[in-house]
Formats: sequence, C-alpha cells, structure tokens
Amino acid sequence: MTHELKFESPSFGKRLKGMLGVDFYRLFHTPMYYIFLAIAALIPALILGTGGMTNPQTGEVGAMLYTNVWNAVAADTPLYVVSQIGEYANMNMVFIFGGIMVSIFIGNDYRSGYVKQLFTTHALKQDYMMSKTLVSAFSMACMCVTYLIGSVAAGALVGLDFSVNVGSLVCAVIGKLIMSLGWASLYTFLNVIFRKFFGVSIASSFFFGTGILIIGAAAILGNSSILNIFLYGSSVYACLSSNILTVLVCLVCSAAWTVIYTVAGTRVLNTCDVY
Amino acid sequence: MNAIEIKGLTKSYKEKQALCGLDMTVPMGAIYGLIGENGSGKSTTEKLICGLIHANSGSIKLFDRPHTDADVRAKMGVLIEAPGCFPNDTVWNNMLLQAANLGIKNAETEVRKALKLVRMEGAAGNKYKNCSLGMKQRIGIAFALLGDPKLLILDEPINGLDVDGMRIMREILTDITKNRNCTVVISSHVLGELEKVATHYGIVRGGKMIREMTAAELDASCRTYVALQTRERNRAKALLSCKYFRVEEDESEYLRVYDSVTPEEIVSYLYENGILISEIKTAKIGLEEYYIDLMKEGR
Repeated sequence: MTHELKFESPSFGKRLKGMLGVDFYRLFHTPMYYIFLAIAALIPALILGTGGMTNPQTGEVGAMLYTNVWNAVAADTPLYVVSQIGEYANMNMVFIFGGIMVSIFIGNDYRSGYVKQLFTTHALKQDYMMSKTLVSAFSMACMCVTYLIGSVAAGALVGLDFSVNVGSLVCAVIGKLIMSLGWASLYTFLNVIFRKFFGVSIASSFFFGTGILIIGAAAILGNSSILNIFLYGSSVYACLSSNILTVLVCLVCSAAWTVIYTVAGTRVLNTCDVY
Repeated sequence: MNAIEIKGLTKSYKEKQALCGLDMTVPMGAIYGLIGENGSGKSTTEKLICGLIHANSGSIKLFDRPHTDADVRAKMGVLIEAPGCFPNDTVWNNMLLQAANLGIKNAETEVRKALKLVRMEGAAGNKYKNCSLGMKQRIGIAFALLGDPKLLILDEPINGLDVDGMRIMREILTDITKNRNCTVVISSHVLGELEKVATHYGIVRGGKMIREMTAAELDASCRTYVALQTRERNRAKALLSCKYFRVEEDESEYLRVYDSVTPEEIVSYLYENGILISEIKTAKIGLEEYYIDLMKEGR
C-alpha cells in the first residue's frame, strides 16, 4: 500500500498565537499570578502606610519615608547610587518579585514535563522564548499597574502629597512598563540556563532583579548615564524627571536586551540537552 | 522510505557513555518494540529522536528528512514518562491547550476524536489529578495522537495498566497503525504484552543495537520445545538429560526438552522407564525468553 505523507508545520503566526494562547490561559489560571499582583499592590501600601505611624509603646511618631506619594513609584532623579532605602523602594521592586513569579511560572514547564511535549512537536525554540517573554512581560506590567494602584490608595489613606509633573510621571510609568519586557526576557533566559535547577533559577532571578551589580558599578562609576544601557539602569532612569527621551531610552534598552536574551536562550535550547 | 533511520549514534553524559554507535531502522507503519535493560540506552535513543537531547555523533532521519526538520517534527507525538498536563485542570481543557499549542484547526472535534480513540470520552470533565494511572496513560496517548501524528514515540505506555487497560492499549495501537498510517516506537519491559502488538523489534544493550528483526523473524528463531509435568520430576530430568540435547526446569515446574523430539517419543521413553506423565505439550519460547537468552549470551 502506498501512503502519501504530507509534512507541513503551522506558520510562525499560527505557532506563536497557539503558544501565547496556552501561556496566557495558564497564567490566568495560576493562583500564584493573583498572589503576586496582590503583593505588588501591598508593597507601596506597606512603604507608605507604615511610615508616620505612632509607636503605641513609646508614643513616638515614626519618620515618613516619603512625603510625596509618587516617590513610591519613581525617584525624583535617576539615582544609580543608593545611599538609603528610600531611594531604592519604588516600582523597580516589582521587577524583583516579578522575577520570582516568572521563575516559578517557567520552572513549572520543566518540572511537569510540559516542555517534552512542546519541544518534540515544536522544533523552533525561538517560539518558546518569545511566548514566555511576552507573557512574563505582560504579567510584570500588570504588577506595575497594581503597584501604582496600591501607591495611590495608600497615599490617599495616609494623606500624602500628590503634586507632580503629570507628563513626567506618565513618561516614568510608561518607561517602567516598557522595561517589563527586557526584565522578562532576562528571567526567561535565566530559567532556560538553570532549567534543571529550579531553586537556582529563582535565586538568580532575585539576584539580578535587585540590580545589585549595577548598584555596585555605580558605586565605582558614580551616577553615570552609561548605566542606562543595562536593564536596571534604564529602569532607574524612568524617574519623575522623565520626558519622551526617557521613554525612548527605555524602549531601545528593553528591545535590545530582549533580542539578545531571546537569541541567546534560543541558542542554548538548540545546542544543549533540554531534558 | 523508513520512518526512522539512525546511523552510528553516540551520546555521552559527562563520563558515562549512553550510546556507542547505535543503528536503528523503523519501517513505516511498524509497531517497533524497543527492548533493553535499564540503562541500556532506550530512553536516550527516544529523547534523541524527539530532539530533546543532542547526539555527539551519528545521524537521525525521520521519513528521509533530518530529525530537526520543523515540518516533520510537527507530525510527531510523544509520551515519555508523563504527558505534562496541568493537574488542576480538566482532561478536556488540557487537551484543548495541547491542540492550541499544535495550531490544530477544529480543536474541539480533534480532541473529541482523540479521546474517543482511547476510550476516554467519559473522563473529559475529570480533573487530571483525579485520574487513575491507567487513565493518565491513555490520556497521554490521546495527547500524543493530537495533530494526526505519523510517528509516535511511547516510553513504557503499558506500565501500570490493568488487564483491561492493556487490551484497550493493544487495540489502540493496532488501530492507529492500520487506520491512521502511523508508525509507533514503544519501549517496554512488559515483553509478554509487547509481543502481542509489535511487528518489529530492536534489542539494545550497552548503548548498541544488538539485534533488529521482524515479528516473523523472531517467530522463526524461537525454538520449539516439549514441556511436561510428572510427579517424579528429578528422575525424569536425569533420564531425559541422558538422551536429549538440553533439559531444563522452568518456574512453573515444567520440564522442558529442547530437541527435535515429539511428545509421543518422550511419553513412550519415560513410560518404558516407569515414569507416568500428567501433562505434556509442545510450545515455543516467547519474546521474553528469547530476550533473556540473548542477554545471557552476551555475558
């Protein structure tokens, strides 16, 4: 008997659409995603709400970390050198917690055996890198939004100052939302590198998310704008003195690192044993 | 055209050599039983075919194309260990997600068809984590069948199945090779079951293919023997051993006589020596015994 065999794989668009559909479905059906959204909203509430509280034992009023609510979202000026926690505690912290969430989300692919099915039928690993990066970027962008909501709500409750240059604030928030993509690509890459070591992938995401390497470099270089070429640098650059140029810097930095990490991750998956 | 053609495949993990020049040929439409001891290289071979790991040297061709070809890989199905389902979701949703991953048109119809084929329509609404091991194995097969694959790689699909589950699995495998123009590679340690479905065999030892044959070739090379039962087993064994080439006692307490001899001759010979036989039959050694003999030869 003669059998006619036709081999045809779906187009790039169809493949990516299918994979994104599955990843978004999984994201929205993972309780952990909602927990991290809540954490993102609680962080600014804790930062803004606990400052200025009266100690019931001593009767002393604690010092306010910020007097202006928007400082919980971004610093006034790009400060790469951190001398006190107040200069550090802003929306950039979302990228630390986001990294942990992304690591758990992607790490589960390897632990459950999902990638075996996927990589057997999907020979093109770049589809996987792109899909994971886009979904992770979306989840971190959502965390940025809940962080913003948490900041506004906590600021209103505490009665902080809301005065700000609206244009700069919008540019700063847009800049940080754009940076979610670059951070997501880094975390996807780290999870590909440490795919067999779940704990290490979480720890590495946390380590890079804190921006400790850039803070260390800034201690040597000072507040140099050259640090904007790094993800943490550009994330800091999106501050309350931002303008359209800041958004462009964030866009270029985020896109460039996304391409670099996606290509590198694809190469790792194509050349190393996946499972 | 062969479904799989492997030549000189080598693979090492750090200092351990998993495969040393493995050759393997799987004809189209075959149910190919891949047999070997633990650590012989079966799983490594399967993972290499699936593109999950990379070989140090050698070539793998699937349907005359490189195994890395995206078009040919889109027509593969796999069940290695577990299907990678999300435990808190229903079987139906898990199948739909896999269909979306594969970019299948009419996903619901295809999922329904796959579930029907593995007799799991009734379990579609169950959460995956609540399914029994046998159900999970069948769901795994249904997963692998989505997208009308032309090559299925199944790692130990019979493990953990009850008698009925094994029968259903046999029917599924026969059905997909005959009606879906699909080639199946199965690795299994349950040789008795494998023998009932496999059309071809490959026996792997120490990372090498030591024998490849069809079911007919296996049948021809399996020796015929006469098995008998008697109350005076030890005396009968001693008598028969003097006259015939090889006499052994099996685990069911039968005496087996491997020689060109008829049951009538043995009955007559033992009767003359005052031994009565309670049961006698002719039989052939099966795949399991053939495999064990082959392994003994190599040691």
